[in-house]
Amino acid sequence: MNQRKKQRKNQWSNELNDIIRGASGGFLFGIPLLYTMEVWWIGSYTTPAEMSIAIATTFIVVFLLTRTEGFRKTKDIRWLEAAIDTVEAIAIGIVCAAIILFLLREITPETPLQEALGKIIFEGLPFALGVALARGFLSGDRYQSSDSEKEPTINATLADIGATLIGATIVAFNIAPTDEIPMLAAGISPPWQLAIIAASLVISYGIVFVAGFTYQAKRQQQQGIFQRPLSETVMAYLVSLAASAFMMFFFRKLSFDDPWSIWLNYTLVLGLPATIGGAAGRLTV
Amino acid sequence: MSESNNEQQKKRTPAEWLTFAIACSILFTLIGFVLYNWVTKKQEPPVISVTRNTPIRETQGQFYVPFTVTNTGGETAESVQIIAELRVNGEVLESGDQQIDFLSSGETQEGAFIFSRDPRQGELIVRSSSYKLP
Repeated sequence: MNQRKKQRKNQWSNELNDIIRGASGGFLFGIPLLYTMEVWWIGSYTTPAEMSIAIATTFIVVFLLTRTEGFRKTKDIRWLEAAIDTVEAIAIGIVCAAIILFLLREITPETPLQEALGKIIFEGLPFALGVALARGFLSGDRYQSSDSEKEPTINATLADIGATLIGATIVAFNIAPTDEIPMLAAGISPPWQLAIIAASLVISYGIVFVAGFTYQAKRQQQQGIFQRPLSETVMAYLVSLAASAFMMFFFRKLSFDDPWSIWLNYTLVLGLPATIGGAAGRLTV
Repeated sequence: MSESNNEQQKKRTPAEWLTFAIACSILFTLIGFVLYNWVTKKQEPPVISVTRNTPIRETQGQFYVPFTVTNTGGETAESVQIIAELRVNGEVLESGDQQIDFLSSGETQEGAFIFSRDPRQGELIVRSSSYKLP
């Protein structure tokens, strides 16, 4: 009986892991589009008929992707299961996109229904594609090579910092020179800045420590200064923030004449995609 | 991993059904909103109205005239142009213009014009002059 209870508990945590893995894949694929103002504008002028067509098209594409990739561990799933997973993938995409749009103040309680719907649908559907590709994105196991070589822990930490930098640069370099950062930063007040920090940390933690596959058990073995999940997440966030600030400076979006509040605001806004990229970097590099 | 594989292939667990139920409700809510929006959508061109409810604010010798622009029509207007003219004795002394990127149905945007003369001394006209359809 105890075993059955344990198994049941396992089911729920497995399911939660699957969902978080899906959401992580969605963030990796969808976040650059969330920082594109043209996509926000699509939401402003799309008719309900076009929205319905967009949902239907995405359903077909996500369905086909789920047949081959999907966000669950299971391979070779049948048509019906693929259809069920497709509904879930779209729902995960929609919810994640809505949360980030709300966090970035692109959707507020004052936004008219049609505009909010358009934004959520056109940002959420690319997210759903990312969810459907999650297994492909996140199946990497970052300690495969380093474990066999038995590297000293300080090197593991350095490797993590390097991987975070690479990942953060790949994702955020596309976003840093665009006008979206000042636009978004203009609408974000201090309480929302705090919310963005919290979201960055939670998403980063989710991608690295929940969505990974075989990593869970090996995580316990890894001992070192920055190898505990929480401290590693915080360290990676700080590295990503530093990388964001540098990228904004590199593209002359920030200069030393700017007040520190602008540096802070821009860096936090770009820090969200940079952290997500950094988390992915630690999984794959 | 093969164990969980078998498990999943046998039948879906309650956890998976719960996820599916929640996912379905999210998706149906979304589709419901789209349909609702479709049915209730007004089939009429944009109607732009500009109002000035907030009092004029004077700071450092400048006069700030806040305005609110609302689209009460059905369709979204793009590049909505708002102009303000300050006339004294029939002569336009100062003018300003402002553009709003997108104004969807029911949306309200706020802004302000800045004058160096007191607008209360003359006749102030704030209106929208043009828009285009996206």
